[in-house]
Amino acid sequence: MDRTPGVHANKHCEEGYGMGNLKVTMTDTAGKVHEITDVAEGQSLMEIGRAHGVAGIFGDCGGGCACATCHVYIGEGWGEKVGQPDDIEFAMLDMVSDVARENSRLGCQVRMSPELDGISVTVAPTAA
Amino acid sequence: MAAPAIDKDAPKICPVKPGDPNYLDEASLVYEDILANPEPYYEAMREHDPVHYDKKLQMWLITRYEDLQTVNADPNLYAVGAGYREQYSKGFFEEFKAILEKDGGGFFPDAIMSEPPYHTRIRRLIEGTFTAHKVKELEGRIRKVVVDLIDSFAGNGSCDAVRDFAIPVTIHVICEQLGISLYDAKKISRWSEAVTAQIGRMQNREQMIENARHICELQKYLINEMKDREANPKNDLISGIVHASVTHEDGTVEKLTFEEAVSIVRAVLIAGNDTTATALGNLAYLLATRPDLAEALYENVDDDRFVTRFVEEHLRRMPPIRGLSRLTMEDTVLNGKHLPKGSHLLNVYGSGNHDPQQFPDPLEFKMDRPNLGRHVVFGGGVHRCIGLALARMEVKIVAQELIRRVKDLRLAIDPGDIRYMPTVATQTIANLPVTFSRREG
Repeated sequence: MDRTPGVHANKHCEEGYGMGNLKVTMTDTAGKVHEITDVAEGQSLMEIGRAHGVAGIFGDCGGGCACATCHVYIGEGWGEKVGQPDDIEFAMLDMVSDVARENSRLGCQVRMSPELDGISVTVAPTAA
Repeated sequence: MAAPAIDKDAPKICPVKPGDPNYLDEASLVYEDILANPEPYYEAMREHDPVHYDKKLQMWLITRYEDLQTVNADPNLYAVGAGYREQYSKGFFEEFKAILEKDGGGFFPDAIMSEPPYHTRIRRLIEGTFTAHKVKELEGRIRKVVVDLIDSFAGNGSCDAVRDFAIPVTIHVICEQLGISLYDAKKISRWSEAVTAQIGRMQNREQMIENARHICELQKYLINEMKDREANPKNDLISGIVHASVTHEDGTVEKLTFEEAVSIVRAVLIAGNDTTATALGNLAYLLATRPDLAEALYENVDDDRFVTRFVEEHLRRMPPIRGLSRLTMEDTVLNGKHLPKGSHLLNVYGSGNHDPQQFPDPLEFKMDRPNLGRHVVFGGGVHRCIGLALARMEVKIVAQELIRRVKDLRLAIDPGDIRYMPTVATQTIANLPVTFSRREG
């Protein structure tokens, strides 16, 4: 997983189209389930959610791990494959501790790979 | 960034007191006393008239947290760019533009002060340069700059915490971040004033020409630095902006135009200045007036989580930004109030951060708030401050290095005598005389 965004970090991030065949299931803050089936490798969960109008995914800071507006709960069984947040991401999740859980991640920090094909996540509420 | 002018001839004393039924009609953000202590006005508006027309300021003040979220969620209805362009160098625009084209390398409109979809393209191109992870790479260099500066005055015993500390620290750090070696604080301050004067509506023609001359000098300096980074990329923000690119699925690579890139480097230099210096001046005020918090910070200075939360709550409780403007592009209704097309709004983030519906006991310093990260210190939506990770890191480093080196920080001015800069954009202490002693060992 690329955790060191740099000048060219947006390489795979263009929104609005998928062009891949990986699958993601997102349950948004309104309870609506989005089955997304055209996800390309390298796209982040934030970008995917934003491109598909998933309620509760804002990504205000653009994927910079700096605003906690793309907070998701990783579905059961996927935690190990997704991995744990690093220190910077943990600090952001700690700022919304009212809704943070053991399986919390920022969507912008989780990039799709074949290993994550089929992952399901639930968007965290924006208030407790 | 777009702040209207303050009425310098307005009475110094607010004519009515909070609680008076006429208070909301008579109070205004143009009064110096209200700028110094806006909380009663904010509270009265939040409770009785949350979308309030300030007649003297001639703006609608958006004061509740929820309403600010509504405004920020619709950047095409509540626009940043239209009002900004409308008042840019107002009255002298063509002449100003001609001077910059002739002597300043070109006229470069602020690319970031715009609406989607153009704005989306600009943000996508530069966001990668400002991520928390990218910013972390600059931490060591910034810490060294801060330590050197604090060491240089820690033994002096007294200073003006704004003029001698907050402003120079911020300018040194922004130069380090951008990767420019020019640490001439006076020159950068003057450039900064010249740029912000273009949206202040307070310059006459003579001043405009003088300001334009400074902006020409600023742009020529930045263009030189940018050309150097084009050929020799370094690990700094100018390199990041100059080389920023997005690769599309079809393999085409998109970059900022030269004009856009200059406007963004210029904006980073200017925008990072006032707000961060304000946050540092406020930090000095907090530590000088709350010895208990200064002590707690010192005791926990190596605890990353503690310092991170300390800084975040400090920013929420004493937010550098009071309000930023928007212009309605259509007739609309906000929280029951009809706003005609072309209404000037002020997103009063200073009030949203102290909305008790969102933050109980809003004026208390409570760093264990479970929703601390949901403040609007950095705004919200597509215009959320792009430099937020940089700003946080800078305030955090300064908090740590200052408390490690300085103790017994106290105000050398009566709190009632503290004056604020005459602007509705930021809540900036003008001067803050303090005393302190060097922490030995």
